[in-house]
Amino acid sequence: MGPTTRAMLSLRGITKSFGATRAADDVTFSVGSGEIVGLIGENGAGKTTLMRIVAGEMAADSGEIVAPPRIGMVHQHFALVSHFSIAENLALASERDFRFVSSHRLEREAETTIRESGIDLPDVSRRASDLSVGERAKLELIKAVTSDPELLILDEPTSVLTPIECAGLFRLMRRLAASGTTIVFISHKIPEVMEVAERLVVMRRGEVVADTSAPGLTADEIAETMVGGVDAGFSRQRESKPRTPAPPLLAIVGVAGNGQRELAETLRGANTAFIPEDRANALIAEMTIAENIALRNGRRGARERAERLIESYRIKATGPGQLAGTLSGGNQQKVVLARELDRRPKLLIASEPTRGLDIEATRFVHEQLRRAADDGAEVLLITSDLGEAFKLADAIQVIYRGKLSPRMSREEAATRVAKLMAGIA
Amino acid sequence: MKRALVAAAASAASLALLAFVAATFGHSPLLVLRTLFEGSIGSSFAIEGTLTKSVPLLLTGLSVVIAFRAGAWNIGAEGQFIAGAIAALLASRFGNVAAILAAAIAGAAWASIASLMRLWRNAPEVLTTILLNFIAIHLLGWCVNGPLREASGQYPQSDPASSSLPAIGSVYVGVPLSIVIAVAMWWLLYRTTEGLRLRATGFNAGAARYAGINTGWQLFRAMAISGAVAGIGGAFELLGVTHRLFERFAAGYGYSGIAVALLGQLHPLANIASALFFAALTTGAGELQRSAGISSAIATLGQAMAILVVIAVSWRRRNA
Repeated sequence: MGPTTRAMLSLRGITKSFGATRAADDVTFSVGSGEIVGLIGENGAGKTTLMRIVAGEMAADSGEIVAPPRIGMVHQHFALVSHFSIAENLALASERDFRFVSSHRLEREAETTIRESGIDLPDVSRRASDLSVGERAKLELIKAVTSDPELLILDEPTSVLTPIECAGLFRLMRRLAASGTTIVFISHKIPEVMEVAERLVVMRRGEVVADTSAPGLTADEIAETMVGGVDAGFSRQRESKPRTPAPPLLAIVGVAGNGQRELAETLRGANTAFIPEDRANALIAEMTIAENIALRNGRRGARERAERLIESYRIKATGPGQLAGTLSGGNQQKVVLARELDRRPKLLIASEPTRGLDIEATRFVHEQLRRAADDGAEVLLITSDLGEAFKLADAIQVIYRGKLSPRMSREEAATRVAKLMAGIA
Repeated sequence: MKRALVAAAASAASLALLAFVAATFGHSPLLVLRTLFEGSIGSSFAIEGTLTKSVPLLLTGLSVVIAFRAGAWNIGAEGQFIAGAIAALLASRFGNVAAILAAAIAGAAWASIASLMRLWRNAPEVLTTILLNFIAIHLLGWCVNGPLREASGQYPQSDPASSSLPAIGSVYVGVPLSIVIAVAMWWLLYRTTEGLRLRATGFNAGAARYAGINTGWQLFRAMAISGAVAGIGGAFELLGVTHRLFERFAAGYGYSGIAVALLGQLHPLANIASALFFAALTTGAGELQRSAGISSAIATLGQAMAILVVIAVSWRRRNA
């Protein structure tokens, strides 16, 4: 079949404001049937808002949308019933009317559904709350695909997946596209978007700043349009500063759901600095930045401390009195980081610390983790992002089915990691 | 500020609804409202009655507030109130201070049964605290019919407590003390690091745990304070008002405390106002019964209406 000229989705002059910020500013573009479009941009560029408007979850202030009736959207934040099993969650998503259910039948149907989706998710009787973040992401994806949508929107789907799982996802995306499904793939990891998308739409501050077919541009050029020419060059910066022999920053890499969560929980003592994988529960949304920081350090001088940390961690906030829940994801993560590192911890456990963050924020988090290690802290980085592990770590270990591989140097890891992660070594 | 307006509007709306109900039953709404006002704040005698009535309401309300702030619904203020009163009676021979201390400990212990069951077996405290209420009520019944029955054996009630709370002017000391407790609780919750951690536990226990807070300990301690405050309420009522224990001693104060806490937006200081409002409603309704023959159950109706309005308004806001 392949792509046709018929537009599956077309947006004209979409504008949406939240208070003073324009999340979408006169956005116009259209997507043809069977096309895979990468929608890229930094955190807060307006990608998710725009797609939520398309999915009908949010109304635009002005503009016109022509969208197909069946739209599947996989959110970055999951919508699963945590007390339900995988099978029950899938049954909820199916469009069937009233019928009698038995857990046995639901599980059989779920297994069929999962097989057809081409995604690997074993043991459908497990509760959603027992799944790792990566597995939850897979379940969400399976849910979205089963309704056979004409338009599939994926919001940062790869952020919790391993390279092998990503490749599987991309195969699935290509297959869906070949059968006529239009896919909008939101991401800020440029290389992977270029790998699968036929076309890129780049957003910055609510505007579309580039809309082109992928082969025409290099990753560097796209990165530049994304951030608007600002490039602090973390890697260059690091090389210019001779590294003192530091205690190891150890990275634990692995496919999500191989015991990373349990490992982090076991190692975490009351005084360990901890950056949780579970972003939704990293901060108390109802409390201010200052209060969240005071949870660790006490109320005395909390306001001044918060002001200082907002400044030094470049947190975009109106002040220490801003509610943490109203900050963007990247800035929330910076608050967590600031709070945990300000205590000059001996041990820092960071679980997927840059998942879902944009280039700038990721770079910042990396810088801070490295600095903490250089300043004498032991840093344990638990991540499924291999690039991150190889960039930062002094040593790497692989976790597979709850077991840790021996410690490897980066050079050694380079040849062995993939096999260890897949459990073939 | 907005929330204070909501509460005030809810109180006004409940009065308006009361007047409307009175009208549908053939009473003059204006007369009903006037009697309510005069019976509660119309004379110094009425004001004293209202203030006295506000003490158990405020303390059981505060008990609900602090548990809620740590993420637990303490429906057991009634039982903790009773446990406190029994302990106060027993300890009253050593003086007021000993009696109040004993009441605080007994209330805290009663509440801790529920919090320990929550922490060890994950038993929902809503259920366990209610069930503990029944046990406390029957324990009280057994006490006043058995070991604590008055020496003369005439009525199922205890002998008067050996000590009683003094009055300041014409108001007994429980009134200012309960306000002091409200302010102290506000200070604890909003001006100390431990209060911050307690509230963090209530907002999001997961995030609190990531911040290094021992949420189980926070919950346990908040429930203990909650029970202690309700227990002190029982002691004040015994030592300052009834002086004797009898079966209907608690008279539903523990449950009214939930209403007080809700109308007071689960804030300790706002609770002072809401306790006074409900106390006024109760004393006013007493006057209504005496002078106009309208059942004092109308006070309960007023409470219920105020709470429904508060809930309806906050529900709307959450969905806006």
